[in-house]
Amino acid sequence: MKIELDRPRCEGHGLCEEAAPKLMHLDDDGELVIDVPEVDGSELDTAKAAVRICPVAALRLAAA
Amino acid sequence: VTAPIESDIDIWDDAILIDPYPTYAALREQAAVVHLPKNDLYVLTRYDAIRDALGDPESFSSTSIGFNPMVNEALQGTSLASDPPVHTQLRAVLSQNLTPRALRGLKVTIDEKADKLVGELADSGSFEAIDSLARAFPIEIVADLIGFKGHVKDNMLRWGQAAMQVIGPLNQRTQESFPIAGELYGWCSSVTAEDLTPGSIGRGIFDAETRGEIPEGAAGHIIHQYLGAGVDTTIASIGNIVALFGRHAEQFDLVRANPELVPAAFAEVLRYWAPVHIWGRKATRDVEIDGVTIPAGAQVGILFGAGNRDPRHYENPDTFDVARNPVDHLSFGYGPHGCAGQGLAKLEAHAVIEALARRVQTLTVGDEVREPSNITRSIEKLQVEKVVAA
Repeated sequence: MKIELDRPRCEGHGLCEEAAPKLMHLDDDGELVIDVPEVDGSELDTAKAAVRICPVAALRLAAA
Repeated sequence: VTAPIESDIDIWDDAILIDPYPTYAALREQAAVVHLPKNDLYVLTRYDAIRDALGDPESFSSTSIGFNPMVNEALQGTSLASDPPVHTQLRAVLSQNLTPRALRGLKVTIDEKADKLVGELADSGSFEAIDSLARAFPIEIVADLIGFKGHVKDNMLRWGQAAMQVIGPLNQRTQESFPIAGELYGWCSSVTAEDLTPGSIGRGIFDAETRGEIPEGAAGHIIHQYLGAGVDTTIASIGNIVALFGRHAEQFDLVRANPELVPAAFAEVLRYWAPVHIWGRKATRDVEIDGVTIPAGAQVGILFGAGNRDPRHYENPDTFDVARNPVDHLSFGYGPHGCAGQGLAKLEAHAVIEALARRVQTLTVGDEVREPSNITRSIEKLQVEKVVAA
């Protein structure tokens, strides 16, 4: 699965980074960087948690 | 599809507004969506139903966030009351100064102000927590941030309270608050850059209007929303922090011993006592939830506090537990209309909790004094009868 970001909707709340620090991070300007865009196995559950926790629904998982 | 499940309660009854949780539990056990004929309203009561609705603006429109036609008319053209795609642009302008990245530079100042205020209160022996902390602190922070001065600063509390009250149905509370909300509306329609402190975010919004980044006249709307949405709710949550720490000394001790629990403690305060009682949507089509149909065009009421106590989602939901860390609570809403000011709310509340944990050893509080209010659920008076400084 692929992690997709709706960039204009992202406001940098950073909850996804807390849920999945190995998959994504906020850079020095507070912009979200998806470090591991394609996920499977145990990473998929972590990615799902990050998608779920976004308070403005800016993240989603799509078929790779 | 079964007939709608009904309840003959009035969700704005004084006793329910003072303590809605027994009613929330009863409605939630009836169904995920319950029709309230007295209010001509379908309320959402369970966690999943609420979250799904908030994440589905195509089925649940924000053109009817209020529960009377006058307020919905007055809110036309704001991001609060718009649907995508119009909403997307309005929201971007509203939120660009409120995102965590934009607010990062404020953290030190906010922390210092909280520490000073809480330190003075802790040394005072006893204090009234609502006026001296829950109201004083966010009003000062928001006034400095937006650049309010003079009579505007003096009016922020009553304007902010009235702006929320009039979102309710046409009951006496709403009717008494309309003239006050009108003062705020009138001021926001005529406010100019010169009325706001140079260098403030409010000034920056007028600069954006001058540069043509937002439509002419939009700056006043945005300032209206900062004041209407950002004052009363934050006051409620800070009052709730003091009351819940006072009621649950062992939970406060946990936070004092483990300051890394501060964000989790605030999330739990928001989950346990939602600052917003009810918020509206309009069904754009027949929507079926767990076998019950909300008809197209119906007014929907979202009961955040009912969803936050749903045992289908949270274990022991009626227990106040600062270590729970319910990051997915519903009190900031969710999705495209999720609270735009949640970054600022967290900065303010975390600063207050950190200061309490650092400066206070024990708090003994009296009973909360509450007055029924249509939308915001907050404490009117809370006497800290004895405070022992750390």
